[in-house]
Amino acid sequence: MITLNDIWKQYKLNNITHRSIREDVVNLFKHKPISNQPDGTFWALKGINFSVKKGQCLGLYGPNGSGKSTILKIIGNITSPTRGTLQINGRIAPMIQQGAGFHLDLTGRENIYVNASILGMTIKQIRKNIDAIIEFSGLDKDMIDVAVKKYSTGMYVRLAFSVAVHTEADIFLIDEILAVGDEDFKKKCMNQILHLKKSGRTLIVVTHNMDQMEAVSDRIIYINKGVIQ
Amino acid sequence: MQFSNILRIKSFFISYNNIIKMLKIYRNLIQYKDLLLILTWREISVRYRQTTIGIAWAIIQPLSLMLVFSFIFTYLMPTKVSGYPKMIFFYAALVPWTFFSTAINYAIPCLVNQYNLITKIYFPREILPISQIIVAFVDFLLASILFVFFMFFYNISLTWYVLWFFPLFIQLILFTVAMSLMLSSLNVFYRDVNVASGFVMRLWFFMTPIFYSIDALSIKIKLLLFLNPLTFIIENMRRCLIEGRGVIVWQFLIVSVILLIYFFASIVYFKKIERKFADVI
Ligand SMILES: Nc1ncnc2c1ncn2[C@@H]1O[C@H](COP(=O)(O)OP(=O)(O)O)[C@@H](O)[C@H]1O
Ligand SMILES: [Mg+2]
Repeated sequence: MITLNDIWKQYKLNNITHRSIREDVVNLFKHKPISNQPDGTFWALKGINFSVKKGQCLGLYGPNGSGKSTILKIIGNITSPTRGTLQINGRIAPMIQQGAGFHLDLTGRENIYVNASILGMTIKQIRKNIDAIIEFSGLDKDMIDVAVKKYSTGMYVRLAFSVAVHTEADIFLIDEILAVGDEDFKKKCMNQILHLKKSGRTLIVVTHNMDQMEAVSDRIIYINKGVIQ
Repeated sequence: MQFSNILRIKSFFISYNNIIKMLKIYRNLIQYKDLLLILTWREISVRYRQTTIGIAWAIIQPLSLMLVFSFIFTYLMPTKVSGYPKMIFFYAALVPWTFFSTAINYAIPCLVNQYNLITKIYFPREILPISQIIVAFVDFLLASILFVFFMFFYNISLTWYVLWFFPLFIQLILFTVAMSLMLSSLNVFYRDVNVASGFVMRLWFFMTPIFYSIDALSIKIKLLLFLNPLTFIIENMRRCLIEGRGVIVWQFLIVSVILLIYFFASIVYFKKIERKFADVI
């Protein structure tokens, strides 16, 4: 169960100077943030209200820069809202996104340990499950012991899915992963999302592909400029 | 007027919220101890796996500084630094100093380096700098083994005052944790911290009684050097380990209170701005 009550989020635009070059380059192609306030601040979310029941899948749809990722970050407790409150019951898996929640210098195997322990598994439990996690991810045996910064986007996502599925996380935040990768990869992702849904997990999915969105979501919310349409 | 200011400062430290923050950081360490263990273990194994001489690196740094300073003060600028053999005199201070400087150097960039983890999942962020401090602590233990060897080699007689080392080391840890939390989080907002740290640590090295002792200095200079908490800690560590001297209790208490306040403030500060890391990093 996730409930957002009148969530507002303000960013300071000078924050952008500190952001990673990688993210800035990506944003360069996506959108240019324009301050909508005279003091150089920017309201990314302006009064968002919605709730998602356990086991439901919510789709978020909207143009670039409309605040979809920001909503996911607030739900994931990665950033805090400037105003408003939220209630969340359940353990939240790392945001599944390009790059996933990985320690870039660690190998895939080591990252399984890191992510699974953040999600509440003990080292013992991880040891027991690690073979299943690697197998489920479908990664090559020799790739699993390579630093994840050498992974392709598809490999990141597969591993992220696999770890999250094997933990007790029950809320999944999936951000635009269907935009990357080939047809085969997309199909696998769709299957994994459907698999998560079937196992009773709560999902929030962001994608630009309306067909896929409709196939998985119970409900779709349209967002533009930080407001639900 | 002044009294109300004092009250305000007092209420800042004693406020309910801040005590909760303190307890939280402790609870987090217990709850996330496996994560801490994994990150620390991995850091250590990589650091030592990639180098051919492995763990010897932990000893080489203080040892080489010891040799250089002994060379300088024996042959280049012959000086009587203290009544004790120069080698062990320098080494006794270099080991705690190396722990402090290594921990700070590891900790400062650790949050920024992990932006990918920080912007995708929540976990208590203090785990990252604290795991770096533990890595530096392991180096410290290795370097200490050599110190024990030196103690035998120079035939230093042990006294009960040696036990003072442990409370002093707790002070050193409090100070190291507080500095690491503060500098690593500041580095998220101002990358200059990382750039400046190399230079500042070098200055700090000279302002700490490592290759000199404060014993013979005038009271004015002593007071000036005491502005640096490491002066008290490192000078006294050396006194109790090799000189068979105790620590002046009231001085120890004053330094402890100051360090505890600083430690407490750094945690409150860190937990407060931790929420902004993902927006800024
Ligand atoms: N850390 C940040 N600092 C400043 N502005 C940001 C930050 N993150 C996002 N923004 C801005 O907030 C707006 C919403 O971003 P985002 O939620 O990523 O949009 P979406 O995911 O819908 O494309 C954008 O204009 C973006 O530039
Ligand atoms: Mg986005």
